[in-house]
Amino acid sequence: MPTVAMVTSAFDELATSTAYKKGMPGLRVTFTPHPITGRTTEESNEYLKGKDPITGNPMLEEIIAGLRDKLAEKDKHAGTIEREERPRFLPSDTADNLQQMFHDKLWTDGLPIILPTEEKVKAMLKGTSHAPDEVVGEMRPSGPHEAWKFTVEMVAVNAVMAGARPEYLPVLLAIASTGQTSLVSSTSSFARMAVINGPIRDQIQMNSSIGALGPFNQANSAIGRAWTLISKNLGGSGMPGSTYLGSTGNPLNYGNMTFPEAEENLPEGWEPLHVQKGFKKDESVVSIFSGWSFNTIAWFSPLPQQDVIKNWLTHFFSFGTGSATIIVDPIVAVELKNNGFATKQQFADYLIEKSANPGWLYWSTHEEEYKKAKEDVEPFASYLKLGETAEVPVSRYVKRPPRGAPAGTPPRNPIEVLAVGGGTNTYWSGGDFSHVGSVSIDKWR
Amino acid sequence: MKNCSRRLVSAVVFLSVFCSGVASAAEDQIRVMNPRGIMPAIQQIPMAERPGALDGKTIYIVDTKFANTKPFVNALRDNLAAAYPKTTWIGVDKVGGYMQDDPNLWAEIKAKGHGAIVLLGH
Repeated sequence: MPTVAMVTSAFDELATSTAYKKGMPGLRVTFTPHPITGRTTEESNEYLKGKDPITGNPMLEEIIAGLRDKLAEKDKHAGTIEREERPRFLPSDTADNLQQMFHDKLWTDGLPIILPTEEKVKAMLKGTSHAPDEVVGEMRPSGPHEAWKFTVEMVAVNAVMAGARPEYLPVLLAIASTGQTSLVSSTSSFARMAVINGPIRDQIQMNSSIGALGPFNQANSAIGRAWTLISKNLGGSGMPGSTYLGSTGNPLNYGNMTFPEAEENLPEGWEPLHVQKGFKKDESVVSIFSGWSFNTIAWFSPLPQQDVIKNWLTHFFSFGTGSATIIVDPIVAVELKNNGFATKQQFADYLIEKSANPGWLYWSTHEEEYKKAKEDVEPFASYLKLGETAEVPVSRYVKRPPRGAPAGTPPRNPIEVLAVGGGTNTYWSGGDFSHVGSVSIDKWR
Repeated sequence: MKNCSRRLVSAVVFLSVFCSGVASAAEDQIRVMNPRGIMPAIQQIPMAERPGALDGKTIYIVDTKFANTKPFVNALRDNLAAAYPKTTWIGVDKVGGYMQDDPNLWAEIKAKGHGAIVLLGH
């Protein structure tokens, strides 16, 4: 079917590179000025009378030509386009030149790397029993993008670059095996989080105590950093304009919030995350989370902690409005346990049930209910009378299967609770992160 | 004889400096491993032949429903209809968000249409 794609000019590189990778390099694309969002009819008419800002052709004529005019022979080709050859080694050069070349090609996070010599990679590979040429998996920047494949050795190369030690390699292979990039290609500037549970936390000396979420531990930092490099270099992610589109970017992408849960300091009855997800306590597991933002809350209130957190959740607003992860210091966990929450899930269920919605947020995400409220259908009509600054007593955290999941998929837990920290004060953090999946690290030892 | 000795000393000095420079440059060269993964081969898809003229044809304008872009989508349909009245322009919304497939719509366009404009973005 003759087709013309219309895309705003900010995405020209994305559109043309995607057309190429999908096998249609000659796809007819007409670009509009950017942004189109919020333009009036009059502004739209002006745009349409003008020129494609990328090609300079009159916009309507270009569309018509794309639908009507006979194709060039090259557009009718079928067959395979082979990609550039991937040599195992790069051409020799000085350390300084290589360091700069890695930066110039956007293979780093902008900070100096450890150059991955064969000796260093060999040493790194001693961290796993798996063969260097074993395929670990595939990774892509987001659903519509192509997936790149990678081996154990390729993960080890990136682990060296990030400053990881060989004993961290099973964690990195487990993360890479999930196929989850840490640099999701979306204009909304996603962030990712990796939570490590089980014996490996101590074996590689990760920090779950004071400053666990900060830059104070080699394993926490290097594993998080390596995930970014793996995402860029093995997952085809992180090329601004084509495979990374986050408008502002996200500072959490540097270290990807990588930390171990403070399992030993959980109150009795509060299970570590990996046990909640069906693993045995003595298994080592990494769990991947996805979201956008985190708040660190250092605040005292006469209210009990559960209500401070509940009220914060009600008014917390970010791109993700249906999921949350609460990270409490272990001494907050003990306080919550003493306040009657025998398990993490009981506390999560309390938040799911009791948190509400600010009126303005509720109505902007509930179009059907708004129509009913306008038709005096209860309880929506009463909610509307409360006004947009009041709380609507409906939680935005709902247990339901993930979007697009096959029938019979169990409901997703919309609120996760984790414990980490050194107990220096009764503080906690919260954000819009949701659990993506958990995988075994032991499998990659 | 004196000149000859001087030349010999100069040559030795030059050679030793040159050789040490070469050795130093060779020592500075290092070889590192490729950090990149394996890109898939691309299966090229032949594009659909164009009709040569659009008079009497039906073209679908498919809105992939990015937020707050409807005025532009409608303006596109109206401008095309005004400029090319012998072509039928049909505006349709794809089901779901922009990431969701809509095989029923594609089937309808194949059955009833002669082309499509698929748009848009932010």
